[in-house]
Amino acid sequence: MIPLLVAIPLLFAFIISLLPALGKQKLSKYLFLIGAFSPWLFISSIVQKLPLDEVVGGWKRISGIEVMVDSYSLPFLAAELLLFTFVAVYVYGDYYPKKSENKVYVILLLLHSGLLGAFISRDLFNYYIYMEIASVSSFALVAISREKGARKAAFRYALFSLLASYIFILAIGIIYLKTGYLNLLLIKENLVFSKEVNVALALAFSSLILKSGIFPLHFWLPDAHSKADAPISALLSGLVVKAPVYGMILLILTFPISTLMQNILIATAFLSIFFGIAMALIQKNSERLLAYHTVSQMGYVLLGIGLLNPLAAAYYAMAHSLFKGGLFLSVGTIAEHYGTRDLEKLSYRHSKFLVIAITLLSLAIGGVSPFIGAFGKFMLVKKIDGLLKYAFYAGGIGTLASFIKLNYYLLKRGEKIPFPLKKEMVSLSVGLLTLISGIYLYPHLQLVRDLSFIFIGFALFYVFKKLGFFEFHPSPPFPDTISGLGREINVYMLFLGAFLLFLLFNSL
Amino acid sequence: MISAELTGIIIMLIGMYGLMTKENLIKLVLSVNVVSIGLVLFFIGTAYIEGGDVPILPRSTVVDPLPATLMLTTLVVDVAITSLALALVLKIRREEE
Repeated sequence: MIPLLVAIPLLFAFIISLLPALGKQKLSKYLFLIGAFSPWLFISSIVQKLPLDEVVGGWKRISGIEVMVDSYSLPFLAAELLLFTFVAVYVYGDYYPKKSENKVYVILLLLHSGLLGAFISRDLFNYYIYMEIASVSSFALVAISREKGARKAAFRYALFSLLASYIFILAIGIIYLKTGYLNLLLIKENLVFSKEVNVALALAFSSLILKSGIFPLHFWLPDAHSKADAPISALLSGLVVKAPVYGMILLILTFPISTLMQNILIATAFLSIFFGIAMALIQKNSERLLAYHTVSQMGYVLLGIGLLNPLAAAYYAMAHSLFKGGLFLSVGTIAEHYGTRDLEKLSYRHSKFLVIAITLLSLAIGGVSPFIGAFGKFMLVKKIDGLLKYAFYAGGIGTLASFIKLNYYLLKRGEKIPFPLKKEMVSLSVGLLTLISGIYLYPHLQLVRDLSFIFIGFALFYVFKKLGFFEFHPSPPFPDTISGLGREINVYMLFLGAFLLFLLFNSL
Repeated sequence: MISAELTGIIIMLIGMYGLMTKENLIKLVLSVNVVSIGLVLFFIGTAYIEGGDVPILPRSTVVDPLPATLMLTTLVVDVAITSLALALVLKIRREEE
C-alpha cells in the first residue's frame, strides 16, 4: 500500500513524457492533475493504521527495501501532499506556455514522487535515490525560469548538491562497511560504535546541511530559490530542502550522537537563524528576502535535530513548508504580475485577498499564536533553557521585524495591476490553512507575549529604518561573468572543505 | 600495498581539489565526475574479499555483490546530472554572448 504513494505519480510522469510522441499533448494537464492528486487516495487508509511498515515486494527485511509511515514521517508527508496540491492547482492550466508545458508537468511529477519516496524510506540508499530524484528535478525546474541568471543559479545548485550527494554516499559506504546493512532498523540492532561510524556521521551531516541550505553552507540557496518561478520556489523552499532534514532525523533516530556533535549542530542552527534574518533585512528583492528566511528557518529545524528532538524538527519543517510555500506563492504572484522583484515597486494594496493572505502568512512565520508557527516553536522550545531561550525568542522577533518590512513596502500605493482570482485564492487558502492547522494542533493563545513580540518587532523595524539599515546594499562579491561563477564555486568549495574538516576533526 | 578504498578516497580528494582551483565550468563538471569515480572505486573496494570470485552460484567465496549494484544506480544518477550540467554550461555561454 505505501509504495503506491510513490508509484502512481512516477507512472503518470512516464505516461505524460510519452504523450508528445503519440500526438496527444493536450491530455498532459489532465494526467498531471490525476498523478499529483493520486496519493490522497491512499493516505487516508494509511493514516488509520500508524505506524505502518512494509517491505516492498514482500521480501524479508534483510534482503528487501523497507518503507514506513510513522509519527516522524507523517508531518513531512502531510506538508508534501498539501503544498504540492496547492502548487499543482496554481500551475495547472496556462501558467507555462504550451510548448514547454508537457516537460514541466513530467518534472513536477518526478519531484512529487521523489519527495514522497524520500519521506517514506527507511533504507539509507533508497532514501538517497529518492532525494536525488527530487534534487535533479529541481535543478531542471530552476533552469527553466525566465529570470536572468537562473541558469547560473541552477548550475551552482547542481554542482554543490551533486558533490554533497557523493559525500553522503561515502558516509553510507562507511556505515555499510562497518555494519553490513543499509536498512536502518538492522543497522540499529547490529551497531557497534566506532570511530569510523563517527566519521560517517560527520560526513553525512555536513552533506545534509549543505543540501538543506543551512549557514555556512547556504551559498547556493538564495540564488536558486529566488531566480526560480513562484510555484517552483514554493516547492524548493517548502519541500525540497526538507528531504535532507528527514535524512538527519533518520540518522539521529538510528545512531547515538555525541554531545560535542550535538553542540556543533545547535551552534550552527543559531548562527543560521541570525545570519538568515540579518541578510533578509537588507534585501531589496522580494524573493531573495524570502530565500534568506529559508536559511534562517532551516536553522530552527536543525535546532530540533541538535536537541535530539526529531518530532519538533518534523513539525517545524511541516509548519515552514506551509507558510514559506504560501509566501512564495503570494509574493511571487505579485512580483510576476508587476514584472519586477524590486520591493520598492510592488504593492498588494488593491487586492484584499492577497493582503489577508500575506498578513496571515507573515504572522505564521513569526511564530504568533494560534498559527502553526507557534506550534512548531512550542515543540522546539520545550528542551531549550537558559540563555539560549532568549536567543530563540530574539530570532522570532527578528523574523517579525523583517516581515513587517515586507508588508510595509507592499502596503504602499502602487500601480493597480489586477491579479488572477485563482492565484489569489490559492495564496489565501494556504494562509487560512496555516491558521486552521495551528488552531487544530495547538489551541493556545498567548496574547500578551505575542503582542509584545510584535511591538518589539515594530520598534526594531523603526530603528533599522531610521539607521538607514535598509538602504545598505553590499555589492555582490563576485562579478556576474562565467569566470566569476567559476571563482565563486572555487571559494565556496573551500568553505565546504573547511566545514567538512571541522566536523571530521571534532568527530574523531 | 595500498587498498582500493584508500585509493578511492584519494581520487575523491583530487576531484575536490579540482573544484577548489579550476575556474572553467566544464573542468568543474569533470572534477565532480572525478569525485564520483573515486566513490565508485571506494565502494567496489569495500566489496572485495581476498580470492573472491564473481557472485554467481554455485561458488563458495564470492565478492559482495551489493556495492556493485548500488554503484550502478549512482552511475546512472551521475550520467543524468552530468548531461544536465553540461547543457546548463551551454546555455550560460549562449546567454553571455
